[in-house]
Amino acid sequence: MSAYLNTRVSLFSGRLWQPEDFNTLIKTPNAEMAEALAERGLPQLAAGFDSLDHRSLEQRIISEMLDETKVLIRPLTGAERNFLIYWTERFEVSNVKTLLRGKMTGERPAALLNRLTPMGAFGRLDVQDLAHAEDVSELLRRLEAGPYSGIVRQARRAFEESHDPFILDAALDRGYYEGLAHRAQPLENSAGASFRRLMGSLIDRINLVWLLRYRFNYNLPPAQVYFLLVASHYSLPSSRLRELAALGSLEAILVALPDSLRGLMRDVNDIPGVFASMERAAVETADKVLHSGAPAISRAFAYLILRERDLRSVRAVLRGRHLGLPTADIRLAMYQPSEGNA
Amino acid sequence: MFRAEPLVKIRLLMLASEAADAALELARFGIYSPAQYAPEALSESPAEAYRDAWLEAESRVSKLVERCGSLPELTLPEGAAAPTLADLEELNIWLKGVWNACLAAHEGESRIQEEVRHLDGLEETMGKLERLNVDLAHLLRPDGLLAVNIGSLPTDSVKRVGEALSMTGSLVTTFDKIGDQAYAVIAGPRDRHEEVRGLLSQAGWRELPVPQELRTHPQAARVWLAEERKRVEERTGAECAAMDTLRGQYRTGLEEARLRVTLGRPLAEAAIVGVRGRGGLVSLSGWIPRRRVNESKVALEARFHGRYWLDVEEPKANEADQVPSLVHYPSWLMPFVPLVKSYGVPRYGEFDPTLPFAFTYLLLFGAMFGDVGHGAVILVLAAALYKRLGRTAWVGIAAGAVSMLFGLLYGSIFGYEDIIEPVWMSPLHHPNKMLILAVSFGVGFIVLTLLVNMRNRLIAGHTAEALFDSTGLAGLLFYLGAVGGVASMAGAVNLAAPSWMIAILGICIVAGFKWAETHAGLGERVLVTSIETLETGINLFANTLSFMRVAAFSLNHVALALAIFTLANGMGTGGHWLTIVLGNVVIIVLEGGIVAIQALRLMYYEGFSRFFSGDGIEFVPLKLVGVKQTVTPV
Repeated sequence: MSAYLNTRVSLFSGRLWQPEDFNTLIKTPNAEMAEALAERGLPQLAAGFDSLDHRSLEQRIISEMLDETKVLIRPLTGAERNFLIYWTERFEVSNVKTLLRGKMTGERPAALLNRLTPMGAFGRLDVQDLAHAEDVSELLRRLEAGPYSGIVRQARRAFEESHDPFILDAALDRGYYEGLAHRAQPLENSAGASFRRLMGSLIDRINLVWLLRYRFNYNLPPAQVYFLLVASHYSLPSSRLRELAALGSLEAILVALPDSLRGLMRDVNDIPGVFASMERAAVETADKVLHSGAPAISRAFAYLILRERDLRSVRAVLRGRHLGLPTADIRLAMYQPSEGNA
Repeated sequence: MFRAEPLVKIRLLMLASEAADAALELARFGIYSPAQYAPEALSESPAEAYRDAWLEAESRVSKLVERCGSLPELTLPEGAAAPTLADLEELNIWLKGVWNACLAAHEGESRIQEEVRHLDGLEETMGKLERLNVDLAHLLRPDGLLAVNIGSLPTDSVKRVGEALSMTGSLVTTFDKIGDQAYAVIAGPRDRHEEVRGLLSQAGWRELPVPQELRTHPQAARVWLAEERKRVEERTGAECAAMDTLRGQYRTGLEEARLRVTLGRPLAEAAIVGVRGRGGLVSLSGWIPRRRVNESKVALEARFHGRYWLDVEEPKANEADQVPSLVHYPSWLMPFVPLVKSYGVPRYGEFDPTLPFAFTYLLLFGAMFGDVGHGAVILVLAAALYKRLGRTAWVGIAAGAVSMLFGLLYGSIFGYEDIIEPVWMSPLHHPNKMLILAVSFGVGFIVLTLLVNMRNRLIAGHTAEALFDSTGLAGLLFYLGAVGGVASMAGAVNLAAPSWMIAILGICIVAGFKWAETHAGLGERVLVTSIETLETGINLFANTLSFMRVAAFSLNHVALALAIFTLANGMGTGGHWLTIVLGNVVIIVLEGGIVAIQALRLMYYEGFSRFFSGDGIEFVPLKLVGVKQTVTPV
């Protein structure tokens, strides 16, 4: 089965975009855009690429991701299958957040349902039922009786104590990534270093960016910041995260990072810059794993990371063009190097 | 019974304000299956807002009915009108108010339950606190340097909370675990207590209020706990009374709301596919049985007095795949319908295989599992489980009866071949005859499926396929010729020359048709034609041999019984009968299950796949749900 998955991933990897493809896309005239996208294997995006409805674009991108994941999990069983299925569930957690926000603002069920991402075969929530909950408390109780009870339980208790939507979102995110790290554990043993590198780049990035945002954008105290991070054993283990959370400035935190991460942060002086650097490093790691002889599950996960980043960059181009943004701004939104450096 | 009832396409144009009543009128008859055939000019979806409002109301009514217990079946008042969009909006506001009142009462009940659990926990922890051997009054002193919290948090958060709290100079000590909750004492410097409180609120911490009494004397604490319990019980009674009052207060209004939601359902459901409009005009489109057209016209006229336009149209030949199938089955055949539908729904105009399926399935099951005793057990079990299985139990009852009938023919009862004389023959003693019969049955079955396919193709207007394809007349000629040729070689008949000629003629026609149908380069055309023609022969040959399993399983049944008898005979009296009983259970469960699946497999893959596309659309009419019907539905 791993031979099948390896072959499938190798075939899929031909769909990944190179920097010059984005340059071409940015310059493609509107009249030729649909054809260009269809040629690049994105017919779903080609239809209505110039639509004003950015949610529909987002939904089509996720739909493409789900379709490809469906193909990749076909030969998988056990922990590997569970992991990739759980990886898709972040879109559903995002639906949970949309539902909660909708209920907080008293949005009508029909409007709320329109904003949700269709999960197809991966959907586990009865969104019709949930959208018709009367308020956040009822919604949380219903969610707690469903497949995401583990993630929602603690979020509900925290929300009941604080009634702060930020706490709710943070608790849901943390619950999801804790679950991901937990499911990755057996694969780190079986698939080895390559899988661990991918998970490390993902969890380290999430923890560092969250730490900086919670600490300096939301001004939370260090202990609270630390509690909201994902338990980690990668480059930023829990002990290091505690030390970093206790520091008082972005600069101090960047200086205190381990060597492997500090090297990435040269010339970085704000949180978006940290995110972009970590994202670039994660993409490089995924690219190396994809083009190595790593176990099939690592390559499949690397492909999905790269593919999602590509599709989000395509989205940035389409939306940027639609809004009439200058090329430089579009590139910034994509975190792509400029043409000269590509 | 063998084909779908003729349907006609309708487009009902009318005032948008009367669309809900029109849908209700059509739903009363249960004859209208909505589909999208509105004129292109009607580009709006005016019923979408109606559906959204209806869904909200329906969801609230369902939740409230669930809370209020069962309500009686609704009776539709004569001339009842469907609610308008404004009615539904108004209803939604009322329902929201009722729901909030109920929710508050329900939340009150939940809070009381939580309080009861909390008191249970408190009582259990009290003993442990006593054993902590600390002066709680001193420890919990509000003016001390040390801030102390006693409470519970999720077990899986304890480690994380402990690590985070260490950053504030606080310590966590757990002293009890109940379910997924850990009870803990947290102590730290008072000047950082706000920080700790912020963290604890995120961690799902529940403070355990330690009453003053508990801080002084254990006996006083127990008295306090007993008083608290009494207070909670009183509140429980009050909440129950409040819920009963609410039920009484809103019951009539809720029944009225239920009726409105029921009356609004037809348009809300039709809105999914069949309602388009523009301005003040709406079109309901879809399918109704041809024989009920006049009846519908009369009902619409009586209700709307000419304020409508009904366009009725016969389905076109190229629309066959869009027309839903409405087949009427006699009640005795109904249990078999789900087995056919699990393969697919017949297309409109296609032969409906339910009747031959029922007979052939039972025949194959009986032939493969013929035993008076085992059949009787299946029959009795299915009858006993009737309440749980519903109509499906009849499949088991019929299969058991046919199994008993074949048991009589084979002379087999619980595997014993020497208790009753076979009325026909014992499979074990005539294996060749069984094999020949099974294959002959297969030939007859395949010929029947080819004939049915020819009919379906002709009705669908695919004459060339019906005549020249591998599953059409040419395929049938090849098959009959080949069967005749093989039978002649075996000495059963003496028709070798004409049989092979017919077979060659048939396969040549098939090859010619494949050649004509393949639009590709010469090489690919040769390859496709030769492979597909070869496949025709191989498939028909393999499908025929597949029926040998009927004989094989009838032999297998006897052989399994023999194996059990051999095992049983090697044991003492107790062991003997135990083995016989357990062995028969194994035969009934294991072999019975396998035979049931094999019979189904033969029907699906050797039968249905040849003539049954199974991609038809089921006729799903709008109906009034949960009300006593006054008009005969479809």
